[in-house]
Amino acid sequence: MIDPRRPGIPGEVRHGAVGPLPRTTGRQVVVLAGTGDDARVDWGRVGVHQVADSRDFAEGDVPPEALQDAEATVFSALGIAVVSADPGQVSRLQTAEAAGRPVLSVSPELVHHVLDRLDDGRPDGSATGYTAGYRDGVADLAGRLLAGGGAGAAPPPAAPARFEDTAQSTWGVQAVRADSSGRSGRGIRVAVLDTGFDAGHPDFAGRAVTARSFVAGEDAQDGHGHGTHCIGTACGPRTPSTGPRYGVAHEAEIYAGKVLGTDGSGTDAGILAGINWAVTSRCPVISMSLGADVMQAHPPYSAAGRRALQQGSLVIAAAGNNADRRAGDFGFVGAPANSVEIMAVGALDQALEMAWFSARSLPARGGQVDVAAPGFEVYSAWPMPTRYNTISGTSMATPHVAGLAALWAEATGRRGLELWATLLQESERIPQPAVDAGSGLAVAPQ
Amino acid sequence: MTHVSVTVDDGHLAALDGVVQGLRARGMQVDQVLDGLGIITGSVPSGTLGALTGVAGVASVDEQLGVQLPAPESPVQ
Repeated sequence: MIDPRRPGIPGEVRHGAVGPLPRTTGRQVVVLAGTGDDARVDWGRVGVHQVADSRDFAEGDVPPEALQDAEATVFSALGIAVVSADPGQVSRLQTAEAAGRPVLSVSPELVHHVLDRLDDGRPDGSATGYTAGYRDGVADLAGRLLAGGGAGAAPPPAAPARFEDTAQSTWGVQAVRADSSGRSGRGIRVAVLDTGFDAGHPDFAGRAVTARSFVAGEDAQDGHGHGTHCIGTACGPRTPSTGPRYGVAHEAEIYAGKVLGTDGSGTDAGILAGINWAVTSRCPVISMSLGADVMQAHPPYSAAGRRALQQGSLVIAAAGNNADRRAGDFGFVGAPANSVEIMAVGALDQALEMAWFSARSLPARGGQVDVAAPGFEVYSAWPMPTRYNTISGTSMATPHVAGLAALWAEATGRRGLELWATLLQESERIPQPAVDAGSGLAVAPQ
Repeated sequence: MTHVSVTVDDGHLAALDGVVQGLRARGMQVDQVLDGLGIITGSVPSGTLGALTGVAGVASVDEQLGVQLPAPESPVQ
């Protein structure tokens, strides 16, 4: 955006980035606040009189001659205009006294080129573009190897751990940037379907918690620990009375569905009943740190995930811990995470590399790992009197993503597939294979 | 007995009662009707699961999967 207090010179681009200055046309590209009829702008006020509107042309197809002749060409469907005027003139549309619809930004129109060829170049054998760069890179590497004395050179050091628990927050909360996010999950219901919840845990005193058991003969109290740990990661407090912050969505409403018994076991009937309860309770986020090591997608979970999405609930599940990467076994994504309609989460360690147990994508449709999150040596809540425990698993990565989904749901109002797309689009790309980490590290809105 | 999950097709989501009647007529003991998801759970005598697929509105019949977490003291869960 151009600062209206500093009128620019047509064709000039100010920027601080290193690199060649892009060529500009002298025209300005103006982003309007609205599209269609909402894009009406009082062009005359800033001295622009010949205005072509894409709606005046058949099918919105503006011919290049019109673009050249008009002082302003408005692409109504996009809410964007190209204007022949100096930026100071156009920027007056952004000032407070501007009548009509406001303008969001004014930028110099850039000249774009076809990208450089990537092939071998010219008939005369001289190198171009990519080839020249490659040749130069090889020559540089060879020179440095020869100069460095070869065999005696030290091997590169192992990648240092990039994150560690501090007095303020766990490494996971730091890595997903929950600690610097202004969002808290306020107003968002997060269902965690697991072994229940320790209702007496002091870190959750005063929090809105709705607990329900779908296990015959057991109440919703957590007799295992896994459920309380997952709820802690997804929804734990911002400032626990003791120890570091370990929770992501610290003001989310907690829906604790017990679908696994005290012995840690459960069946479809209880799990599906829990999903049904969460969807009916209008929980935009459903976290499921559970799974069975089967390669085939299970049709009831696919239907449940699809119908949950249609009703605004996103089901997030653990990819599985059936890999042993230390022994070259990459495992596979189990059910329910291997359903197309259910998001699968892989586990990262403190170096943002795959945890050794984290399952790899299956080649079949739906069998992908969609995203990754901290899942190694994760500190979180545990039933009293133990209070806290540090454990690893894709089970621990999953509630990180569930908490982040609540933050994004709060920040954007998006639900269902839109929320899914937002989580993936906003995730930080990391140098791990896509089959293991999907779109990368899920992160919080800032 | 075999525990099953019956997934109802999109065209019968508004008529789950009729599907439930059809499943009972084929010998299924119906435990839950999950109307938010269009899934019916219950059990059938062993070896008779296939009979349910003929009921109008049934998209699939699947034997229920079991899930088992490691023990609480396990480092990887």
